[in-house]
Amino acid sequence: MAGGASAQITELTVSDHACLTFGEDEEVFDLTAAFVRDGLSAGLKVVWLSDSGPQQVAAELARRGVLAEPALASGQLAAATCEDCLLSGQTFRADEAIGWLSGQVAACRRDGFPGLRVAVDMSWALRPVTGIEQLPEFEEGVAAMLAGATASVLCQYDRDRFDPVTLASVAAFHTRSVATATYHADAVLRICRQYTPPGIRLAGELDYQAEEPLALALAEAIRLDGDITVNMNPLTFIDASSTRMIVKAARTLAAARKVVLRCPPRIAAQFAQFGAADYPGIKLVIVDD
Amino acid sequence: MTEEPRPVAAAPAAAAAPAQAAEPAPGEAAPLLDQVFDTDSLYALRAAVAAHASAAGLSAVRTGDLVIAAHELAANAVRHGAGHGRLRLWAADGALHCEVTDDGPPAAVPAGDPPGGAAQVPLWDSNHGHGLWLVRQVADQAGGHQGPAGTTATATFRL
Repeated sequence: MAGGASAQITELTVSDHACLTFGEDEEVFDLTAAFVRDGLSAGLKVVWLSDSGPQQVAAELARRGVLAEPALASGQLAAATCEDCLLSGQTFRADEAIGWLSGQVAACRRDGFPGLRVAVDMSWALRPVTGIEQLPEFEEGVAAMLAGATASVLCQYDRDRFDPVTLASVAAFHTRSVATATYHADAVLRICRQYTPPGIRLAGELDYQAEEPLALALAEAIRLDGDITVNMNPLTFIDASSTRMIVKAARTLAAARKVVLRCPPRIAAQFAQFGAADYPGIKLVIVDD
Repeated sequence: MTEEPRPVAAAPAAAAAPAQAAEPAPGEAAPLLDQVFDTDSLYALRAAVAAHASAAGLSAVRTGDLVIAAHELAANAVRHGAGHGRLRLWAADGALHCEVTDDGPPAAVPAGDPPGGAAQVPLWDSNHGHGLWLVRQVADQAGGHQGPAGTTATATFRL
């Protein structure tokens, strides 16, 4: 299946071998946090391989409302570096890496977990590593190993740093392709889904010209379950028309659920001017950094 | 926040006619910024206004207020006026003055304050009205004139 059917991160199931592509760190942390959160709440063992240590992983999860400390302490969640697990020194061998993964599946079963989720940041493959030509072989091996196993693997590729040929060759071995749902992206503005906590994320400068993608993003966020977050922390400008549109959407929702508007101080002040603070269901969170 | 008289009214005097030539702004030799804009250049316009306001000594918070005011006046010209316009920014009498002119036909602007007074969130369901309402909320003074030759709108921020 070339590239696999595209899926939302929240739709992944047992034995999925998903290929996540991302453009910025915020996205990969957001998507991975959703993968971890859903895995932990399903009682699965979760392993997160990245360049980050357990402290940073816990901090990134906490920032998104996922409480990781108890799971790290109990062993349900483990965080390690790729070098420690998939490589030996600066050498990569596909069979050894797959051996490590099989070991994790076996250990997870032995420990009584109903299944395993592994998130793998593939950026190690951009470094000068011997044996890197075995990357497609590794991905093929993972696909074979996962067939029938109660494990899923999320491979994370930076779409700007990996060349298209490599991406295309590894994508073919995945059952699913996963990316952040994006409604608008250009040099000035980005409107996309946020997965942990669920909602939308607005970055850059937003004005009436993005009315259509903003309306679509809000409409889709409203269809999600539970409380909705509009993350405007990376937003540097928002005009009256867009402020008004977000307040109106929040007001229609706030009767039944909570809407969290996260924003820097000056944008929070503008939302307050438009009455956002006057509705019990709307929570204006000022992010000051 | 000083409440100005109705922001848009019939042009009371010749002085209200939109500037046709690049003559100096009132009370100042040369504007800090004199830039034309259309729908594709609002982002660049905001960046220029922010840079010049900050360089003129306006605080970061008030610069943010000036940027939103300038944007709303310019967006109004783009969306409801000629589709393009000209923004001038100058310092005079201890304040920054931002003036947006467009030579389009008079647009139907909601006149005056929303029911309940200026301090209340406007009730009319028009982005148009909200933008100008916001300008009057953030500026120390705001005003405007509309005539057959176009629209002039101003917002003033004390330095």
